[in-house]
Amino acid sequence: MVSKNIVIQDPLGMHMRPASRLAKMAAGYDSSVKVNFNGKSFDCKSVMLLMTACIKYNSEIELVCDGPDEEKALAELSEFIESGMGE
Amino acid sequence: MYKGIAASRGIGIGSICRIVEQDLSFEAKLISDTAAEKDRFQKAIDDFVEETFAMAEDVRKNIGPQEADILMGHAIMIQDPAMSGEMFNMIDAGQCAEAALTAVCDMFHGMFSAMDDEMMRQRASDIADVKVCILKKLLGIQDIEISKLPAGTVLVCKDLTPSMTSQIVKENVVGIITEIGGVTSHSAILARALEIPAVLSVPGIVDLVEDKDTAIVDGTAGDVFINPEGDVLSKYIIKREEFIKKQAELRKFIGKETLTADGDKLEIYCNIGTPKDAKKAMECDGEGVGLFRTEFLFMDNTHLPTEDEQFEAYKEALQTMEGKNVIIRTLDIGGDKDIPYMDFEKEDNPFLGFRAVRYCLANPDMYKTQLRAIVRASAFGSAKIMVPLVTNVEEVRKVKKLVEEIKADLRKEGIAFDEGIEVGCMMETAASTMIADLLAKEADFFSIGTNDLTGYTMGVDRGNAKVAYLYSAFEPAVLRSIKRIIECGKAEGIPVGMCGEAAADPLMIPLLMSFGLDEYSVNPVLVLTARCIISKWTKAEADALAEKVLAMSTQEEIVAALKAAAKE
Repeated sequence: MVSKNIVIQDPLGMHMRPASRLAKMAAGYDSSVKVNFNGKSFDCKSVMLLMTACIKYNSEIELVCDGPDEEKALAELSEFIESGMGE
Repeated sequence: MYKGIAASRGIGIGSICRIVEQDLSFEAKLISDTAAEKDRFQKAIDDFVEETFAMAEDVRKNIGPQEADILMGHAIMIQDPAMSGEMFNMIDAGQCAEAALTAVCDMFHGMFSAMDDEMMRQRASDIADVKVCILKKLLGIQDIEISKLPAGTVLVCKDLTPSMTSQIVKENVVGIITEIGGVTSHSAILARALEIPAVLSVPGIVDLVEDKDTAIVDGTAGDVFINPEGDVLSKYIIKREEFIKKQAELRKFIGKETLTADGDKLEIYCNIGTPKDAKKAMECDGEGVGLFRTEFLFMDNTHLPTEDEQFEAYKEALQTMEGKNVIIRTLDIGGDKDIPYMDFEKEDNPFLGFRAVRYCLANPDMYKTQLRAIVRASAFGSAKIMVPLVTNVEEVRKVKKLVEEIKADLRKEGIAFDEGIEVGCMMETAASTMIADLLAKEADFFSIGTNDLTGYTMGVDRGNAKVAYLYSAFEPAVLRSIKRIIECGKAEGIPVGMCGEAAADPLMIPLLMSFGLDEYSVNPVLVLTARCIISKWTKAEADALAEKVLAMSTQEEIVAALKAAAKE
């Protein structure tokens, strides 16, 4: 299991468009991908659950990957989040 | 007879088609053949996703990318593992598809509704939409296809949604009646654009009528008759003919100058909201554009419009208008508008807050982008810059300074523009009325925005039914403001126009003529009406009427006197 802390840069937070891109990307890995935020854990492969986390601008999340391709998943997903999630 | 709000003029007589909210109740039964139930559910989802994608493409072309993204979001939501995935699990456990759909959607609806983020709360209504659409598929409920309604249909519905309106075939729908909506509602604007008579806000009308009932829709008076007696019907058939004849009479004014009965020349301009509307302004014989609202560039967008995007839009309007004046109003929004990428804070009182020129001057980079796009576009026609919500002289000076900076840059870069581009004030606050004499020394022109001028002068929110009676441009306070603004403009020799609804009001026009208004900017469909009314008044007659009503002290007296003097 590997993890990394990331600050959300999108001024609108984790809203529909970026969340759906992130979920789609996360679904492409064999590892499980979770977002820990505000004391709770959310499945990053679900856009609905990501949105229910209500992650706002400047919040810090912990991205946790666990499985055969966990290193690759963590590196690529965290880079995607840090680069603004395609917004 | 039922009374409603007269939202789109004309008389429509036809056969009713009701668009009813359907019964979506179902029996939650336990399923033994879960595989077949999952197939049934998968098919409903597939159909929904396919239709949603097709609709989104349509919307992207005809309405805008933001609205299309909302629809695409619906398809993404239902395909999410936490949505359909969870629903399939519940079907595996023996629940029927309808029950599984409802349970999961309602759970997410509850979670989103409870969030403290407005944008996220809106997702709750998306989930409700998705639920209803898929339930209809599961229950085999067909929506009425509005695009296939026969000729002579009067549409009766609770509210006209944009997706419904986009399907209306203008030749087949002769009237619209709804239970909600006002003159400025989305449905009213669309009905007027389609030139279909419409009466809105008729309480409970959907349940009061049956399909195939005969209806008369008087969109001029706001009256609705269902299955009328023979004499009423024949009266309205005559009225409809008269209206059509009147429209034909107005056509005689096409291509003519706007002249008073004395032969003095005035001008009728148009209010437009998109570059495409400029075509409409030309078709309706407008002599220019007195108000080009630029909000569409910002609201129907997913990002701050770039200089080039704006430049193309302004250029398109200017080229369409073929050298006629086009007065472009710079961005006029504030905290009442929810534009995700523009960080408006929620305000207790957005109409008295950080908006329009106040917001623009505080965000000079954004504002200069817009001004530069307008100045560049001025090479392609006669563009003028109008500044909204002016309350002091400094604001005008600051905008003019920005324009001068932009001109200097463009000169250096060798980019063409109109050196004489004018900067004018939109006169719509009580403050601008009081300092109209000072502003007239700074501005190149005035344009009176009577809608906001009435609101700000009377201190009235037009949307608040309890005080709406105070919202009238015929209140002595508003009439005096209009008179003062025109006189102050004239004293400095600058042109004065009006771009509010009052400019097309047959009762108001003689007063404006008397006060000396030069340019009347109206909805394109009212150009000929306004030109026809102006042709009937001499200056001396208008002056006599104005003198009489300005001596009166109440709105009621004034309106009564103007009605008595009106020339049909």
